[in-house]
Amino acid sequence: MSTTDSTLDPQSPMRELPIEPQPNPVLSRIMFWGAVAFILGYCATLLGAFGVQLGLGEFPCPLCMVQRYAMILATLPAMWIVIEDLRGTLTRGRYVRSLGLSIIASVCGAVESTRQILLHIKPGDPGYGGAVLGMHLYTWALITFVIVILYCGVAMTLNRYAVPLAPTTPALRGVAWGVCWLFIAIIAANVIAIILLEGFALVLPDDPTYYNLLHQLGIGV
Amino acid sequence: MIVLMALAIAIYRGARAGVVVTLWVVGLVAMLLLFRYHVTSPLDLSF
Repeated sequence: MSTTDSTLDPQSPMRELPIEPQPNPVLSRIMFWGAVAFILGYCATLLGAFGVQLGLGEFPCPLCMVQRYAMILATLPAMWIVIEDLRGTLTRGRYVRSLGLSIIASVCGAVESTRQILLHIKPGDPGYGGAVLGMHLYTWALITFVIVILYCGVAMTLNRYAVPLAPTTPALRGVAWGVCWLFIAIIAANVIAIILLEGFALVLPDDPTYYNLLHQLGIGV
Repeated sequence: MIVLMALAIAIYRGARAGVVVTLWVVGLVAMLLLFRYHVTSPLDLSF
């Protein structure tokens, strides 16, 4: 009969792991609001894109829409963190998993926006659409993806000391829920926008200039 | 985009982690396929 204690064997999956330090409560609260700010930041970005689309009449090209998908795919894990935390089910493992998902989506989004930047990088090329604060939307998209990758890297590095901690105050919890609902509403608005743009086609035309569904139904241009 | 909406609802309703991650992966693959579809030519650039 073996007398080996599996909890002392460094190769055993049953070994005792070093005790993790208790998260710092202040830093943990900062990380919670960091995740909320992450969602809010992309809400503002996507609303800005809608502003350009509806206010200035610039239709999003297929690559622009794909970058919006990447932004949503990067932000949904952050919303998952916030909602799990508000419900009291967030663990350190789930937190790090969500950050990893955000990084993967952001890297894909950065590749997509870099592709579009390179399409218009030659001197004399006016780029696609108008500029906002001196840069085109796809350039801003690349900047946001890089910021998300940096944020997630920092959050992962600090996960031994800070796992998001939801507030207990009803008003503050309401603010966090409100941001999540706003983000879900923006996704729903994007669903409607893409249906209007694509119509009965499966994909967008390369250079859309009208809402295809309205055109197909003969109720507008 | 429908997949992303379904994913958002799944997260909001507290669906199991496996469902959420699966939907997320489906969304990512769909996005990459769409990107691949729209990238039709190599860039006319030389570094």
